[in-house]
Amino acid sequence: MKNIRISMLLLTILTLTLSGCAGFQTSNNEEANVNEDGKTVVDFWSFWGSELRRPIIDKIVADFNESQDEIEVRHTYSPWGDIWTKELAAIAAGNPPDVVINDINATAIRGKENQAMNLSEFIDEDFSEKFYPELWEATLYEGDSYGIPFNTDTRVLFYNKDAFEEVGLDPEDPPETWAELEEYATKLDVKENGEYDRLGFYPLWGVGYDVWLLNANGQNYFGEDNNTDTVNINTERNVEVLNWLKSWRERIGEDVVNSYQAQIDSQQGNPFFSGDLAMIVQQPTFYQQISEYAEDLNFGVVQLPEYEPGSGHTSWGGGFVAEIPEGSSDPEAAWEFIEYLTGKEAQTYWAVENFDNIANIEAAEAASESDELTEEGQMVYQIAVESMEDTLLTPAPVEAPGFYNYINPQVDEFFLGQKTAEEALAQAEEDVKNLIEENQ
Amino acid sequence: MGKRKLTMRRKESIYGYIFILPFIVGFFAFTAGPLLFSLAGSFTDYNITSQMNFTGVENYQSLITEDGLFRTSLWNTIYYVAFSVPLTTIGAIFISSLLNQQVPGIRYFRTLYYLPAVLSGVGVYLLWMQLLEPGTGMVNLVLGWVGIDGPNWLYDPDWTKPSLILMKLWSVGGSMLLYLASMQGVSKNLYEAAEIDGASRLRQFFHITIPMITPVIFFDVVTSTIGGFQIFQEAYIMSGNGEGGPANSLLFYNLYMWNQAFENFNMGYAMAMSWILFVIVFVLTIINLKLAPRWVHYEGEEK
Amino acid sequence: MAKTNEETKFLDEEDKIENRSVPNTKLRYLEHRGNRNNMWRIFNFVLLAAGSLLILSPLWWMFATSLKTMAEVMSYPPSFFPESWEWTNYIRAWNAAPFTTYTINTITITTFVVIGSVMANSFIAYGFAKIPFRGKSIWFAIVLSTMMIPGFVTLIPQYILFSNLGWVNTYYPLIVPHFFGSAFYIFLLRQFYMTIPTELIEAAKMEGASHFYIWWKIGLPLTKPALATVVIFSFNGAWNDFLGPLLYLNDENLYTLQLGLAVFKGQLSTQWNYLMAGSLLVLLPVILLFFFFQKYFIQGINLSSGGK
Repeated sequence: MKNIRISMLLLTILTLTLSGCAGFQTSNNEEANVNEDGKTVVDFWSFWGSELRRPIIDKIVADFNESQDEIEVRHTYSPWGDIWTKELAAIAAGNPPDVVINDINATAIRGKENQAMNLSEFIDEDFSEKFYPELWEATLYEGDSYGIPFNTDTRVLFYNKDAFEEVGLDPEDPPETWAELEEYATKLDVKENGEYDRLGFYPLWGVGYDVWLLNANGQNYFGEDNNTDTVNINTERNVEVLNWLKSWRERIGEDVVNSYQAQIDSQQGNPFFSGDLAMIVQQPTFYQQISEYAEDLNFGVVQLPEYEPGSGHTSWGGGFVAEIPEGSSDPEAAWEFIEYLTGKEAQTYWAVENFDNIANIEAAEAASESDELTEEGQMVYQIAVESMEDTLLTPAPVEAPGFYNYINPQVDEFFLGQKTAEEALAQAEEDVKNLIEENQ
Repeated sequence: MGKRKLTMRRKESIYGYIFILPFIVGFFAFTAGPLLFSLAGSFTDYNITSQMNFTGVENYQSLITEDGLFRTSLWNTIYYVAFSVPLTTIGAIFISSLLNQQVPGIRYFRTLYYLPAVLSGVGVYLLWMQLLEPGTGMVNLVLGWVGIDGPNWLYDPDWTKPSLILMKLWSVGGSMLLYLASMQGVSKNLYEAAEIDGASRLRQFFHITIPMITPVIFFDVVTSTIGGFQIFQEAYIMSGNGEGGPANSLLFYNLYMWNQAFENFNMGYAMAMSWILFVIVFVLTIINLKLAPRWVHYEGEEK
Repeated sequence: MAKTNEETKFLDEEDKIENRSVPNTKLRYLEHRGNRNNMWRIFNFVLLAAGSLLILSPLWWMFATSLKTMAEVMSYPPSFFPESWEWTNYIRAWNAAPFTTYTINTITITTFVVIGSVMANSFIAYGFAKIPFRGKSIWFAIVLSTMMIPGFVTLIPQYILFSNLGWVNTYYPLIVPHFFGSAFYIFLLRQFYMTIPTELIEAAKMEGASHFYIWWKIGLPLTKPALATVVIFSFNGAWNDFLGPLLYLNDENLYTLQLGLAVFKGQLSTQWNYLMAGSLLVLLPVILLFFFFQKYFIQGINLSSGGK
């Protein structure tokens, strides 16, 4: 008993000492709008906290703060993914930050739900021309923009040049069409005693089935401007694409596919680095990993192959926007920072330092010629910029939020052999149409 | 005499309320408001930021009559609870009875068995994704040694839920702690008396240990049933893109609710879901409580 | 009744008992059953050791990853032993974010949470277990009910509530609610209090002891193993809490360890070696605490066996 009492006493003393800390000082909501020097404070939240990205975004913020003497931007890191839950709670409580980096694909929905501010009052006529049109369009709800594109990505094909040479393929002549892709892949396979020593290619490592559907169709599931009057899910071509994808699975074997898949899903151990996989579809930033984890790898990059000659190298991408949450204390100042963030200077800096695709076209072109990149880096970046022209986004239409939750399970069942492609896609189309009807 | 007894009872009542007062205060200050808000919200089209219009029982109606994913998620969750609760309970009792002996290095063993329960977060789930990898993963490797051809675990819809249950069993050390604490309360006299009577270890275990720890077994069953119905993060991370795949086999109730609330911003709908879950779990808990007197033995109880 | 006396007696003599020598008769009896016991112990030990391997192997994976270079982490197939043991990973991980500050912050929050949880819950649970009063079952049902509503749907209204109190960006939302009890621990401790013989409490009341005195003098000491469990659980819970600090802390100087660990998991890639090294470092205090607090379980054994 004595022990308990003594420890209670000690704990109480500790308690009293600790309660002097900063975490115990409450503040009213209005204080932080102006700093000691009378500058307007802009709270900026991003999920860029890693050793690589943090210094880059902090530098951009510092440059902006020095470039003028009205506004001080304060950058706060918040964990990837969870940052948006936090933002939502802050908006609901009426005390949000002023600028947040958010997912481009949900921008229209966030505009519709009054989470993000309508930015049209700040935007002059030709402002939108600075950005890739596909990206800009994804930020629109009823014609108004609710977030300014910051960075983006696309999917390209990386291939192992040494492996190409080894089997007598020209390393400077990568596959251009699906037929060639399949032909090359078979050639690149090395099988011994029934086990693969090297795999040529498998289309669903690195990307999902939907990228191949986009690539074959050259368009999204929905109609012009993402209108939901048209739904193109259960089409003959899509059936064909799914069956094509499954033929790879059958040829290579379920066990091999699952085993490699698990490796890639766990984000550790990529067989492309070790040469056990000759081709893989990835984002251009994959180059950065190659140069770090497999610097001796002799690789090439090319845009995604075409479904049939002339059908286009359509690729898939996503990205992030800078938005002003509804309820921000000083939208004008926030906008000034967003303008800087998406301007050429900051965008080029971000692109070069991070090896990341950016939304500003002029900056992207400048980056691809930047001397700060290695020759190899420039080569990859140029392909990335080319691929951006053919890149489609798949933002959810406001009438069909989370529509992929209805397609993916059906496609899963198809790959598991529980449904034919026709059955799966028919069901998916019906489910998505029901979803649209509910949200009309 | 009668009058005195009455005041005694009243005095006891006052004491009772003094003791539970902190809870009552905390409940009204922090919990009751949000709970009522979510109940009210379940009858609206609340989307967190811009709308909250009364829609009557529409959310409940479409959940029960139209929403296929709702049914899938409920079924998945019931499956998970039905297997994980008994298995982890038995596992925890078994391990804690081993750990309740005087064996060399027992402190280290206890710490070791508790370790997995301390580990939490994304890292552990991704670790298990590697261990369950069908080709070179450790689980199938070990199964291979004993001649079993391991399944595809997280890639086969029939095996995804067993995968999670397996992972839960690994970290059973948390409830092990409860049983261990409870076994300390069992008087050694009972065992010694039984031993003198010639009762085997097994008999002692079933006739002394088990009955004496029933209060904690009861606690464990009730709380892990409640907790099991709320399984979320495992599925969120281990189903690849957080959608509950493959083929919706990991689409648990809370995962679907999360997607409705924070991906599609159908918060009103999610609130209706949460109250349906509440009713289900509440009924189960009441059944548990009603059944308890038949098998839970409190030493302190007057007979 | 005999038992009650015995238990009160050993309570009073708690400290002396541990040093008391074992009577001769008992010693002879212990020798007699020694052989059979040894067999059991060996069997038990073997089982435990085998189980440890199962427990340890995933942990080994974690440990091995923490010592690899990223290039090795990304190599295929994965290696079981690190090629070169990169102990500097631990230092680099620690310096990747202000982890020292985060540690102090986490300790601060955790200390309060543990104090609050132990005091409030043991107090409340005593009321539910050992005092008969009107409305008890309704209130107990309410206690259990608070566990049954998924936190997601109360998250937003609760945030608004704390925001209106001006508590956002402070530790209050993470600490204060714990001083008002939480269902899990109330229920747990109630189960343990229920096993205290009612006669024991009645006897104390006859001698004029109030319920406060009984709770403090009999309730707390007799439920030591359970209190130790609450300490460990609530420590673990506060230490590993992610959602709470995520929502309520806006100033990075106030961040906790779990938020710090999230730095290693980015949008595109994860620094596995640092994440694992960081996770293991963060884990260390919890393990040490457990190792230390075990003595309350072992003490339990001594108490009951010495009490004859």
